[in-house]
Amino acid sequence: MKMVNAFNMKRAAAGLRRINLDGLRWRVFDAKGQILGRLASQIATVVQGKDKPTYTPNRDDGDMCIVLNAKDVCVTGRKLTDKVYYWHTGQVLCLKHFSLNIDIMVYRYVGHLKERTFKDQMAKDPTEVIRKAVLRMLPRNKLRDDRDRKLRIFPGSEHPFGDRPLEPYVMPPRSVREMRPRERRAMVRAQKKAEQQQQNTDGTKKGKKREAPEESA
Amino acid sequence: MTRIKRGYIARKRRTQIRLFTSSFRGAHSRLTRTISQQKIKALVSANRDRDRKKRGFRGLWIHRINAIIGKNKKKQYNRYSNLLYNMYKGQLLLNRKIVAQMGILKGNCLLMIANEIIT
Repeated sequence: MKMVNAFNMKRAAAGLRRINLDGLRWRVFDAKGQILGRLASQIATVVQGKDKPTYTPNRDDGDMCIVLNAKDVCVTGRKLTDKVYYWHTGQVLCLKHFSLNIDIMVYRYVGHLKERTFKDQMAKDPTEVIRKAVLRMLPRNKLRDDRDRKLRIFPGSEHPFGDRPLEPYVMPPRSVREMRPRERRAMVRAQKKAEQQQQNTDGTKKGKKREAPEESA
Repeated sequence: MTRIKRGYIARKRRTQIRLFTSSFRGAHSRLTRTISQQKIKALVSANRDRDRKKRGFRGLWIHRINAIIGKNKKKQYNRYSNLLYNMYKGQLLLNRKIVAQMGILKGNCLLMIANEIIT
């Protein structure tokens, strides 16, 4: 998988000529505050055309999907720091030279296992996060590349498709489970801390600043 | 015994097989031995897949019914499973093929029926 270095608006709008039918709808997904995987699975069903009664498995009939606010997509747990994207570079070719009863094996184009955390990927190109998630949810067949072409992801809310008939996609209702006790305690503690800080700043702001250099001296 | 050549009996038999395999790709329509093998494989696949076809289409109809029923946001349990359960309860003897075709051509009719049936 090639890693795009930065987001390119031109690239996001290109290649529309290759998509044949325009009896397709243009669905707009707002990724703000949505959880990555749950959003990606909905996008995958729409891009495949599985929500239409005329779904045919050998024909690509999915709608055009525009995803906005990709930089605001959320992730639960410790995935911000712990989710790692891996990919391997380099081609390993071995050549055997049978010369003078010695066989030499040569590896060319040595690459390595590369990795990048979720946080770094979001900093570099937030659209790739959603794109990878959706592509990996699509079936690996000949239609996968065409479906990829129907996905247009933008980090902000601006997109060059303003003149098309856009339809916003309403995410299906979701039941969020209640917080685990440890999480809840941490949240309560954070809230109390925030309240205390507010109280302190409301009280004596200048007084505290004068005290600090005196203590150090 | 006098010597008897087989003559062209084998060739006559093989030309029939070659006719069957004439549209296959590459060596599968050119080389004699592979032609015989490929004809057998093709006929086996055809036999097996005649039954698979029935399964495949049934799955496709179910999928299509689910897709159109899910769009009806009025009812809470708008799914294929609920629709079928209520159809059997109400003794509606429509098969999945017809229901799927209704969904494609006359989606509103199907949604009307679904609204009536699904509790």
